[in-house]
Amino acid sequence: MHRYLRRIYHKILPSFLLTTLFIGNGIIAGNAYSQTTDPKQLFQVCAACHHIGKGKLIGPDLYGVTERHDRDWLMRFIRNSQEVIESGDEYAVKLFEEYNKIPMPPVDYTDEQINILIDYIANFVPYKPEAVAAAPAVAETEAADDFFAETKSTRRNYGTTFIISLILLLAAAFDMLVTRLIKARFVNFIVMLISAFIMIEITVVEAQNLGRQKDYEPDQPILFSHKIHAGENKIDCKYCHTSVTESKHAGIPPVSLCMNCHNVVREGRHTGRTEIDKIYQAMESGRPIQWVRVHNLPDHSFFNHAQHVTVGKMECESCHGDVNSMHRIRQVHDLSMGWCIECHRNTEVQFLDNNYYEKFRKFHEELKAGTRTRVTVDDVGGTECSKCHY
Amino acid sequence: MKQYWRSIEEYESIQEQGNKGNQDDSLKETPDHHHDEPGDSDLAGSHSRRDFLKMLGFGIGYAGLLSGCEMPVRKAIPYLNQPEEIVPGVANYYATTFYDGHDYCSILVKNREGRPIKIEGNVLSPVTKGGTHARVQASILNLYDMARLKEPMKNSQETTWEAIDGEVIAKLQEISTEGGRAVILTPTVISPSARHLLKEFMLKYPGTEWITYDAISSSAMLQANEMNFKQKAIPDYRFDQADLIVGFNADFLGNWLSPVEYTKQYTKKRSLMDSKTMPRHIQFESYMSLTGSNADYRVPIKPSEESIILLNLYNLIASAKGADTYTVSESPIEIGKLAEELLASEGKSLVVCGTNDLHSQLIVNAINHLLGNYGTTIDLARPLLTQQGSDDEMAALVDDMVQGKVSGLILCQVNPVYDYPAAQRFADGMKQMKLTVSITERLDETARLAHYVCPDSNYLESWNDFEVKKGCYSMGQPVINKVFNTRQAQDSLLRWMEDQATYNDYIENYWEKNIYPGQSKFDGFRGFRNEVLHDGIYVDTSSAGAQPSFSSVELQAGIEPEGEGFELVLYEKISIGDGKYANNPWLQELPDPVTMATWDNYVCIPPGYAKENRLKLEDVVLINGDVELPVLVQPGQPEGTIAIAVGYGRSNAGKVANGLGKNVYPLAVIADGHRKFSGRKVTMERVSGKRYPLALTQSHHTMEQRALAREATLMEYLEAPDAGNEMHMGIVEENLTLYEIPQYEGSHWGLAINLNACIGCGNCVISCQAENNVAVIGKEQVRNRRIMHWIRIDRYYSDEADNPEVIRMPVMCQHCDNAPCENVCPVAATPHSSEGLNQMAYNRCIGTRYCVNNCPYKVRRFNWFEYAGNEKFDYNLNNDYGKLVLNPDVTVRSRGVVEKCSFCVQRIQAAKLNAKMENRGIIDGELKTACQQSCPGDAIVFGDMNDPNSEIKKILDNPRTYQLLEQLHTLPSVNYMTKIWNKDKEDKKVNYRRTRYVPHSVKHGKKHS
Repeated sequence: MHRYLRRIYHKILPSFLLTTLFIGNGIIAGNAYSQTTDPKQLFQVCAACHHIGKGKLIGPDLYGVTERHDRDWLMRFIRNSQEVIESGDEYAVKLFEEYNKIPMPPVDYTDEQINILIDYIANFVPYKPEAVAAAPAVAETEAADDFFAETKSTRRNYGTTFIISLILLLAAAFDMLVTRLIKARFVNFIVMLISAFIMIEITVVEAQNLGRQKDYEPDQPILFSHKIHAGENKIDCKYCHTSVTESKHAGIPPVSLCMNCHNVVREGRHTGRTEIDKIYQAMESGRPIQWVRVHNLPDHSFFNHAQHVTVGKMECESCHGDVNSMHRIRQVHDLSMGWCIECHRNTEVQFLDNNYYEKFRKFHEELKAGTRTRVTVDDVGGTECSKCHY
Repeated sequence: MKQYWRSIEEYESIQEQGNKGNQDDSLKETPDHHHDEPGDSDLAGSHSRRDFLKMLGFGIGYAGLLSGCEMPVRKAIPYLNQPEEIVPGVANYYATTFYDGHDYCSILVKNREGRPIKIEGNVLSPVTKGGTHARVQASILNLYDMARLKEPMKNSQETTWEAIDGEVIAKLQEISTEGGRAVILTPTVISPSARHLLKEFMLKYPGTEWITYDAISSSAMLQANEMNFKQKAIPDYRFDQADLIVGFNADFLGNWLSPVEYTKQYTKKRSLMDSKTMPRHIQFESYMSLTGSNADYRVPIKPSEESIILLNLYNLIASAKGADTYTVSESPIEIGKLAEELLASEGKSLVVCGTNDLHSQLIVNAINHLLGNYGTTIDLARPLLTQQGSDDEMAALVDDMVQGKVSGLILCQVNPVYDYPAAQRFADGMKQMKLTVSITERLDETARLAHYVCPDSNYLESWNDFEVKKGCYSMGQPVINKVFNTRQAQDSLLRWMEDQATYNDYIENYWEKNIYPGQSKFDGFRGFRNEVLHDGIYVDTSSAGAQPSFSSVELQAGIEPEGEGFELVLYEKISIGDGKYANNPWLQELPDPVTMATWDNYVCIPPGYAKENRLKLEDVVLINGDVELPVLVQPGQPEGTIAIAVGYGRSNAGKVANGLGKNVYPLAVIADGHRKFSGRKVTMERVSGKRYPLALTQSHHTMEQRALAREATLMEYLEAPDAGNEMHMGIVEENLTLYEIPQYEGSHWGLAINLNACIGCGNCVISCQAENNVAVIGKEQVRNRRIMHWIRIDRYYSDEADNPEVIRMPVMCQHCDNAPCENVCPVAATPHSSEGLNQMAYNRCIGTRYCVNNCPYKVRRFNWFEYAGNEKFDYNLNNDYGKLVLNPDVTVRSRGVVEKCSFCVQRIQAAKLNAKMENRGIIDGELKTACQQSCPGDAIVFGDMNDPNSEIKKILDNPRTYQLLEQLHTLPSVNYMTKIWNKDKEDKKVNYRRTRYVPHSVKHGKKHS
């Protein structure tokens, strides 16, 4: 069977309950990192080019960097590395030459944030990489196998079951009315009932899944691995999907953004040059890469990333699953309306933190009086038609 | 209350039945759409409904087996290099300027992922102040017109720019060296850079001449001002400074000179929002114009009577002021009161005349001079520059062309073979020439005859600069890369001057040298330029001239036209204008605000004549034995006149426009050196037995005899602010209910329309269409009463048919809190939101149309067909270019679902998100619906009715405010404010009554002191 089937089963004939299709999910609150003091988030920007204790990436390994330089030098370098290099600092120039003259872009962190960052790097205890560092060759084959492997999982096709049930039903009916081989008629009845039940069940589930693509995991024009980029290299989602905080679209990174790193990283651990060369080909031919869209919503549904990520402070994983462990992106939720509504009913809005909600005076009074414990998306009208359909 | 009527047929039916009859009898012409359907199967696939049910029966059973079906693979293609300012999914707005030789407007263009999708008014511009015209709104669609030229052409064969440039340069040089004469024919050019460029071009090729030709010209006014003020210019009219406005055939709210600017000024004073006074507006006119229908007093006159009335009026004023008077035949209209009123508001009155007739223009100047209006309501220090064409120059050119005195002709964005009265002579002249080049957007009637056709870029693809009034500069920038292989006209001229500079550089150079030094605010040119672009207008304060002194000339009334028959009036429709944009389906389907007709032109005939001769709507008549057109009986059309709109009858505009209506430009005449669009006598005969269907929207929407559009006079209003709206409080009190009145947490959106500020121009209709992807459905379906516009402008007549009063009200979904549509939907596709919106979920709708039937306002629209991507509806949604204009934030509706105004819910959602991201509440006024944003009358207010400080809340508390059909207790969220007329207690029948019909034989005035 083709892999892009729209209907895919997970369990053998689940109950009739629609709600089993809806998977509730917990929401983990996070912060936008413009004002953050969380060192992990601060380091996410650095993580695109630096490891701590895992060797060179685009820039040098930062393990022990606080011992190599004093804090003042580091401050200056982080704030604007080019200034330090241009000032003729010997070490800085050497580093610059050594790392192919790729400038480290300046960051607009405050002094406080940079201090927190330096403390974080100084106190970082690197875990000992085992397989990756020790036996890269083995890991490579394994990972590559994994990448190319067909995801078989739980996909099954119930066409055959449906036909068998149909035949059983017809046979039982035929026997009951014509051949009468089975004397006890209730057997015929039971067989007919069970067959009908199975057929109806299959039809209902099929009909519900029309147009849905749960577990959709298409091949992409480039064997791009989110596991390597987001998982192992810990590149922040927002480094590539830049518009997620301000637009309805999360944004697919332009080829030029890939080049920020792949200018230097010319060879992949698993695929060698073949896949990375495709970026260069795109750049040279002027033809953008035609990625296959995984998460599709119908045209009449307007989903806005900024609303969920910036305002709702949701994590990407809540809807996209554990991307860090996926080589090829797979749609983990069915993105059905029921699934959306379920979450809107259970999720609290940032009611007290966002001044927009000030005008909901009744809710504020109720919260104060203690008659209300929380305000969900549903309470502020988040399950109404024209919130998503217009 | 007053008896309102919507069409002349209904009026007659009321008359016949002694006001007792059922108005609906008049609606028997309802087309029976069950017979003349194009056939279901033709229009959407090959399955009938019955087939569908059969398929459904099998389909469900086999759904489990049909597992081989695949979802289409959808691509996500990112940029190669994402431009810095583009964030996919977030719109960018670019400021630019619209000017096409006729209309001027400062605009913002909304861009999504690099394609322009909507035009908004630029509120910073002091000229248009954020308003737009329906034609400006619709101009976004011209960019994606499939009929645009895609490649340069030579003798009807596609060629390259290089080939054209080489040959044109060679021929220009040849003509120049031979001492021949070449002419560049352009519409009015108000670009300082382009004017400079043209001058350089003439220096480069000696013997080249530049002639300005405006399809609709103001040449008589220019000449009159030259005679009176030694200044060949059109003054800057200040309608906001006037307490009394008297118009003579000047459609200043619709088409005349700068309608958007004038509408802003006019409605500001008449809205009665901030003040208790309003100027009076009296309009004398020869056809029912948008402006006339908004006037407090409208006086129908024949074109030949205009100058007689004007000269009589002058005499009355002059004798009061002790100035010279002139002999003239007696005025056919009683104007004593008018003269008194004008004298009472000296320096605060304004008399304007739109006729291209020197006599009338000179008299109007003299009247305004006597009244001291120059310097107050009329400003010649900053003249308006948008119309500069002289008709005699054009006439001389045509004569020379026919005589073979011109050897080269470069036509820039003009189409005289279509819109010049002596078109045939012009075409003949073109055939004799060595070189004819047409720089044009489409292969129009004139370009077809040219040797070389150079595709011109759309204004949204071009660099531009404009000087709209003296010292008031604007800039224009491209907002999209060129869609086709086009080149803007100025770039073509530069290439032919063998100058490789781009026109952008040329503009920058010119500005840096000539305009930038005049300011002191900016240190760098770049910053200055950006601000000019951003603000729409830069005013060079040092450049204002002095008010020139008035030198009087002899006045005389015009010559009465000779011959028998009707006096013909040619006019411009709001939608089509001079016909340049005839291929724009949005404009074709915009109902005319007066006749409510779409897709055609027709002969407006006076009701009296129609009754006598039993002529009815859609009967066909022959004008001058030449032009066959259908009849539309127009209330208020003066006896002895007929009116026809220009702009139709295109043969080479594109597939939308070709063959629609008839071209009546050839019926204009050239007299006294000016093209006269009115006053010529023509014959009209009935073509017996022939009928021609017209698609009118006027009697679609029955509203029975209820107080829908409420009105009062200013006197009544000043005595009691709820005048005309007295029933409102009573109804509110009567509307007791057992049920709980709906309460809204958070926002409760509401909209208000000030009927005093709404002039009915139709800009909102097009703006809504562009914003909400409203489909164009074509003439046949409009006739079947299926028009899709989400906002319609109802027009009601009252009083007598010869000179009716007109009142208009825009009606969109009223978003009732007690909505009758909501509780009849069997599938809950149209529920109410917690913000007071009446929502419409297309994907849920199954098309029962119960809601359509149950809506008392008739604002719900049903998609009878698949309008997008259907070759039977071959408009902008049926080709890949036209689809680029679609708003990606609004669903394109499919067949079988109901749609209606959503209060621009996509804008509400976007504004809410913005506010949340900025951690604040929504600020009143930041959220504007599409109809509101570009309204030139600022008639629409949208906001949160729960916000105690909002503008809408203030309107709710205004005694003028009421809701449509409020007695039904539907609790609409749309509010209307009563229309107040500045009328005296005495009737117009006394003050402006007609004293006689035929003017005396005295035609030439004589001076006597």
